Amino acid sequence: MWYYEKKTQYPINIKKPDPRMAVAILTQYGGPNGELAASLRYLSQRFSMPTKETKAILNDIGTEELAHLEMIGSMVHQLMDKVSPQELEKLHVDTMYAIHGRAVYPSDSNGVPFTAAYLESMEDPIANLNEDLAAEQKARATYEYLLKLTDDPDVIDPLRFLREREVVHYQRFGEALRIVQETMGKKKFY
Amino acid sequence: MDEQTTLLEQIMAYDFALYDLQLFLDTHPSDENALRDYKMALEQSENLRKQFQSKYGPLNARYLPNTTCWQWINDPWPWDYKGGMNNVVL
Ligand SMILES: [Fe+2]
Repeated sequence: MWYYEKKTQYPINIKKPDPRMAVAILTQYGGPNGELAASLRYLSQRFSMPTKETKAILNDIGTEELAHLEMIGSMVHQLMDKVSPQELEKLHVDTMYAIHGRAVYPSDSNGVPFTAAYLESMEDPIANLNEDLAAEQKARATYEYLLKLTDDPDVIDPLRFLREREVVHYQRFGEALRIVQETMGKKKFY
Repeated sequence: MDEQTTLLEQIMAYDFALYDLQLFLDTHPSDENALRDYKMALEQSENLRKQFQSKYGPLNARYLPNTTCWQWINDPWPWDYKGGMNNVVL
């Protein structure tokens, strides 16, 4: 189970609205390489992890991704909040406004709703961990694209933090894969 | 930055260090250095948390201040900050 902590994992204090950037960042909320997909992927896969280390790492990274989902949602909210509909129209984000107003909704930047088809969960831990390694690289690449779209330090800072976390997660999943392979080797599964 | 935000950001920094160490320890459970760092950061975080909660209210609903009303619902919520807690726009 989980308890809520009344704080984000890293500070989000955006002073200047930027609705176009909000829509770009939205893909990390409900898009294919986003934090919701990451969290559900790891929290679902943890049930079929074979060792104590790999159960723990999937559980704990899946939990951290929820904290990242909250950071991304806070960024989208702060970048969109209180911007007038006229301004949104000028910036070409009026179609998003027509569907959701200025709310945070789990979709990608084109408004395509979140789907569990973005993730897989199989009984085979080697297959799962290889997917996880790729997922972390795709999330890192997405944060690098997003970093090229803004020069606001209030936005760059948390995006850099999130990119760095994907690199750390990739590292931990690599260790998890090695642990699974060593354990399976000892049990002579193949 | 106001004192409330400074204190909160210190707690966030220690809690982040703790979480990063937690992931490391998950795949390196016998690393004594990491375990020692975890213990140190945990003590710091808990001291700062006590200070913060007695002054500014709960970070977690399990902290119950000695008051007659439920303080958990009080603003600000984490997504409300815009340049520090004193600049909360509601
Ligand atoms: Fe990640």
